[in-house]
Amino acid sequence: MPADSPFSIETTRLEKRYGNVVALDHVDLAVPRAAVGLLGPNGAGKSTLLKILLGLTKATSGSAKVLGWDIDRQSRELRRRVGYMPEAETLAEGATAADFVAHMAEMSGLPRRAARQRAADVLYQVGLDEERYRLIKGFSTGMKQRVKLAQAIVHDPELVFLDEPTNGLDPLGRDEMLALIERIHRQLGILVVLSSHILDDVERVCDYVVVLDHGRVAASQPLRQPEEATADLHVRVGSHPEAFLRRLAEAGIAARPAGIEYATDEFIVSRDGDRTLDAIRDAAAESDASLRLLRPAARSLEDLYIDSVGAIPPEARAEPARRNGRARRGAA
Amino acid sequence: MGAAQGDYGEIFDRGYRHYAGPRLGQAHAIWALARYSMARAVGIRRPWTAKIIPALLYGAVAIPVAVAIGIRAFVPAFAFLDYASFFGAIFLLEGIFVALIAPEMLSSDRHDRLLPLYFSRPIGRTAYVVAKLLGTGLLTLSISLLPAVVLWLGNGLLAREPITAMREGLDDLGRIIVAGVLIAFYLGAIGLTISAFTSRRSVAVGVIVLGFVLTESLSFAISRALDGQGPLAPWVFAISPSRTIAGLVDSLFGVPGFGEHVPLTSAIGAIVVVIAICLAIMFAWYQRHD
Repeated sequence: MPADSPFSIETTRLEKRYGNVVALDHVDLAVPRAAVGLLGPNGAGKSTLLKILLGLTKATSGSAKVLGWDIDRQSRELRRRVGYMPEAETLAEGATAADFVAHMAEMSGLPRRAARQRAADVLYQVGLDEERYRLIKGFSTGMKQRVKLAQAIVHDPELVFLDEPTNGLDPLGRDEMLALIERIHRQLGILVVLSSHILDDVERVCDYVVVLDHGRVAASQPLRQPEEATADLHVRVGSHPEAFLRRLAEAGIAARPAGIEYATDEFIVSRDGDRTLDAIRDAAAESDASLRLLRPAARSLEDLYIDSVGAIPPEARAEPARRNGRARRGAA
Repeated sequence: MGAAQGDYGEIFDRGYRHYAGPRLGQAHAIWALARYSMARAVGIRRPWTAKIIPALLYGAVAIPVAVAIGIRAFVPAFAFLDYASFFGAIFLLEGIFVALIAPEMLSSDRHDRLLPLYFSRPIGRTAYVVAKLLGTGLLTLSISLLPAVVLWLGNGLLAREPITAMREGLDDLGRIIVAGVLIAFYLGAIGLTISAFTSRRSVAVGVIVLGFVLTESLSFAISRALDGQGPLAPWVFAISPSRTIAGLVDSLFGVPGFGEHVPLTSAIGAIVVVIAICLAIMFAWYQRHD
């Protein structure tokens, strides 16, 4: 029975060629039901994989299932159960948000009255309650992204595919969009497949990651490993790294540079029981070194990405969101 | 929605709820898409600027009907506008109407990149095309059929014995319906097929209008060249929508056309074949559209 499948996505030797260009090269996946991050540099094949899974384009060879439904033989049943937020700007600019989202709900099979009610509810959930009767063409980029998200979940799908949902957003808009996506998964119980080239987006929202590189699966594994409570800590400071290290040493905590692929203000701090976190906090406060990053060092997404794909390109790191001049995130 | 009612009002919990209601099938999606597309094409729930040209066209079609009924009311003996002449008179308006709404039906979806949103939903590509043809055809009926029916009603009601006149005029009503429906879906299919290939509405409008004009000239030129000789000569009219419609209307109402007689079966056959070809082209085009 498809509904009982333990996997959100299964692919078997999935291949997509555009002439001589191989977009997907015999991809084998068995992805559990989780918030899944589809990570990789631009051109890695992420969007192509999403389009094949949604039936928007045909694979050259191989097979795939989503939620246990075969994408070729059971595509209509599948499309009732999934939502899609494309990367491109795909909105009826001349329509109001309420009309457009309600229309998309009707296209997913909802009766007219229910579609209008669901549209109003979902637009409220994504923070567009007041603006829902305004024409979409007058919306900011962030508001348009919210309308795209609303149309993707208006029919209450089991799984929603989000293709680069933070594209074009400023740091604050990005932060709010990620909070919405987290909420969709954690509170509303909708499975999420988040395609992104930004590590922070995936790390924040997802439980499982698939890394694609040149059309191949470079990694497919849970994002948070069970040993993270005892692992060493990866720290990045925004200023005074020497003073920070000196204070740590005075507290008897060992630290070493994070490695040549990281910036010079990033360190691996050896875990020494429960006092380690306190010592880092105190060292940062006493040396006036603002903490930018604090997370388990063992097999972080960055490590995984570097092992799988190579160096992290600048665009894969996101600028932290700021409210009132202070970083909201960063120092975890 | 949970509500706690007190003396001063209600507090509503607007938390997210899962949808447990019915999920309807393909027919619902087709009708919903056709209805939405029709409304958008004539500017309903859109800024007033989108309503101007459709309103002008409806006004232009209403004028000959109103004049004909007015003359009929005051000068009953004077037959100002018979049905065949009426269809001939409004062909240009029908063409402009289709040139206006067909691009709005298809080109707009491509321009706004909505196709991935439609095709990732249960409505299939074939159903999408059917819905668009249904919407275009039904909307064009408001120009090709409705005014003629109003004219027929006016003629009947203004007769000395309205019931008798309308009963005797039922044949005319049948012809009006056949002509109106065939013209609507025929022109709609042509307009949609052209619109499917561009995301720019202005380009589609131009190509449709030019196409109607140029094919008429081409058809006449080929007719002259063939001079009625050869097996294809009787079918040259089918190149031109205007000549095809003229042939249909003239055959239906039994009046002479462009100096040549097009059998009714030929006219209807040509219209059905063109609609089928247009559908086949659109089905194929949208199947390969990623």
